[in-house]
Amino acid sequence: MENSTYNGITNKIRAFFAAKAKAVKNFFATLPQRIKNKFAGAKEILTQGNGKVSASMCIMGLGQLLYRQWGKGITYLLAQIAFLAYFIMKGAGDFIGFFTLGVKQGNAWYGIEGDNSVIMLLMGILSIIAIIFYVVIYISNIRDAYRIQCAADTLKQPVSFKKELSSLLDKNFHKTALALPIVGVCVFSILPIIFMILIAFTNYGGTVVPPALVDWVGFENFAKILTLGQFAPTFFKIFGWNILWAILSTFINYFAGLGLALLLNRKCVKGKTFWRLFPILAYAVPGFITLIAFKFMFSYGGPINQMITSAGGTAIGFLDIDAKWTARLIGLMVNAWLNIPSGMLLATGILSNVNTDLYEAARVDGASAWKQFVKITLPYVLFATMPVLISQFIANFNNFGIFYFLRGGLYMDGYFLASDTDLLINWLYNMSIDNNYYSIGAAISIIIFIVTSIISLAVYVMSPSYKQEETYQ
Amino acid sequence: MSKQTGKLKIKPKKLFGAALTYLIILAVCFIFLFPILWLVLASFSKTGSIYSFKGFFPTAYSFDSFVKLFTDTEMYNYPRWFGNTLFISLMSSLIGTALTILTAYCMSRFRFKSRKAMMKTTLVLGMFPSFMTMTAVYILMTQFNLINQQWGLIMIYSAGAPMGYLTQKGFFDTISVSIDEAARIDGASNFKIFVKITLPLAAPMIVYTLLSSFVWPWSDFILPKLLLKNKDLYTVAVGLMSLDNTEFSRFAAGSVFIAIPIIVFYFALSKFLINGLSAGAVKQ
Repeated sequence: MENSTYNGITNKIRAFFAAKAKAVKNFFATLPQRIKNKFAGAKEILTQGNGKVSASMCIMGLGQLLYRQWGKGITYLLAQIAFLAYFIMKGAGDFIGFFTLGVKQGNAWYGIEGDNSVIMLLMGILSIIAIIFYVVIYISNIRDAYRIQCAADTLKQPVSFKKELSSLLDKNFHKTALALPIVGVCVFSILPIIFMILIAFTNYGGTVVPPALVDWVGFENFAKILTLGQFAPTFFKIFGWNILWAILSTFINYFAGLGLALLLNRKCVKGKTFWRLFPILAYAVPGFITLIAFKFMFSYGGPINQMITSAGGTAIGFLDIDAKWTARLIGLMVNAWLNIPSGMLLATGILSNVNTDLYEAARVDGASAWKQFVKITLPYVLFATMPVLISQFIANFNNFGIFYFLRGGLYMDGYFLASDTDLLINWLYNMSIDNNYYSIGAAISIIIFIVTSIISLAVYVMSPSYKQEETYQ
Repeated sequence: MSKQTGKLKIKPKKLFGAALTYLIILAVCFIFLFPILWLVLASFSKTGSIYSFKGFFPTAYSFDSFVKLFTDTEMYNYPRWFGNTLFISLMSSLIGTALTILTAYCMSRFRFKSRKAMMKTTLVLGMFPSFMTMTAVYILMTQFNLINQQWGLIMIYSAGAPMGYLTQKGFFDTISVSIDEAARIDGASNFKIFVKITLPLAAPMIVYTLLSSFVWPWSDFILPKLLLKNKDLYTVAVGLMSLDNTEFSRFAAGSVFIAIPIIVFYFALSKFLINGLSAGAVKQ
């Protein structure tokens, strides 16, 4: 059989990965140069800046005022005063509190109001954010002063404050528009993440909750999870099952979805839109409803057990405490039921873009249907859906709902506050929300995050959708 | 001669293949339909308890479960849950859509210094499922006094919405830049271009965003379960989870009622949906 037609695709993939490897190499090769360029600007300001720029370095806005840029100068000056007032009245104390996490133990019995470590940690983070914010404004102040100096040296009129403000609706519209989304993401996505990372390095949780004082403990929590008798066996058992689950469920859902799409794509199938309605229907029902329904279905009083008992058998505890593999298998099946429809929709979309000439050529060469699938369809679909596949793997890795609903709140012998179907994310929930092991839970979060983010970032940066996005505009 | 026999041979084989295909399709459709059918029929059962069913299906049918759902509210106040869910979802959808559209527009039309870094950051943050930080969210919300507050939930939902800006960005990418440029030559500012040109062109995308950011709070169970402890504030998801094991028909009726708007939405937008799903994939 002629192979050259199909080699085109594999060569393309090989070339693609070679290009990515080169790009990564390039990134590190040019790193020193790019850092140098960053500092070149600062060096220029330090050596070329005149006295008025230096005045701005001492007191924000002073240089601008000396150049008679009143609006800007006063704004910077006010920012300087506001920050100093905040820092002296509150910020400095909060900043120190971040490191001590409180020194005075409260005691309700004697009426002593002690330090609340958690609030101190939070306020400490906010004070650090305020300091970073100040530094950014400070640098922009120096840059601005230098820009005015350059304009003055060449006898040009410097950009006025009013003009700069009005540019926020035009040239700098993105700054205005993105302000609110960025603040929202910072407060509700990034702050919790920072907070969680920091908690992982404290002993917060268990009996150590305010009014008791919380302390920094370094990597102790990670050491506990990986080595201590209480946590380590549970961690490794759950981690192993978690990996197995993520691979199996992603594999099943992906290929079943692809298979279903291919099946419905066959020429002999009439009424494709009608048949597609059924998986879409399953997809549209909210997940928690399906999961509770399946739990009912497999319960002792559920229809399956009713049929078994009416046929003369004894009821089976599908999701019982000793039903390790039955429960896992049911979990895989239920997850497949939930996720195959979206896989099918995705594959349908991708398949509609395949170049049909390739199939024509393959048919002329006498390639079998199986060969066409392995040599044309599969490489193409895999290539096109790689980013989605990765995100599905991660979603499955952190699939909280399935076992929370099917077997939630089950604690087993040999496991610490978990059962043999629980994934890391379920264990995390059991530990921190139900049992107050906050710091251990936070440490587990970090471990999950490290595992998943390395995979996703690497694949995303390597994928053409990130690199070549300009070509589609 | 040999050609003809070949043709005759293929025909039954093809017929068999088609029959097999239809058989598998029918089986698959049955698998997807059956649990839903089971739930719908159960919601019309007369007795309400799953123990009175014969096998999968109830023995007698009536509207009692639906009537009970809306009138017998002492233990399980379904109308209240429904109102709560509607309020939270509507508010989150409106605010979240505004933020998402703004983000997508900026990411599509502007080239600024931190753009790529921000895109990478949102991707990494997106890989952090919102409930992975639930410990931290829970503690923070306690400190901010936002436990048992519907606005706390609304803030979390709408602040999280702009992270899913990629579909919308893809849409803005397809709107030709030349219209913008023409307007700019006429002296329009970027703000004016956004309001007068881009937004009207993006109307279908805005509708899609409104609907899809409505669906998330509508069917979420983790955050409400975590943050709403007061029975009067429950959303439908938390409420249905709190139902007793014997209340199967009530659960089924409540589920049918909340699933219908979403099913209608998915069918109306199934075409959009395919595009949205493949937005993360590589186009050839």
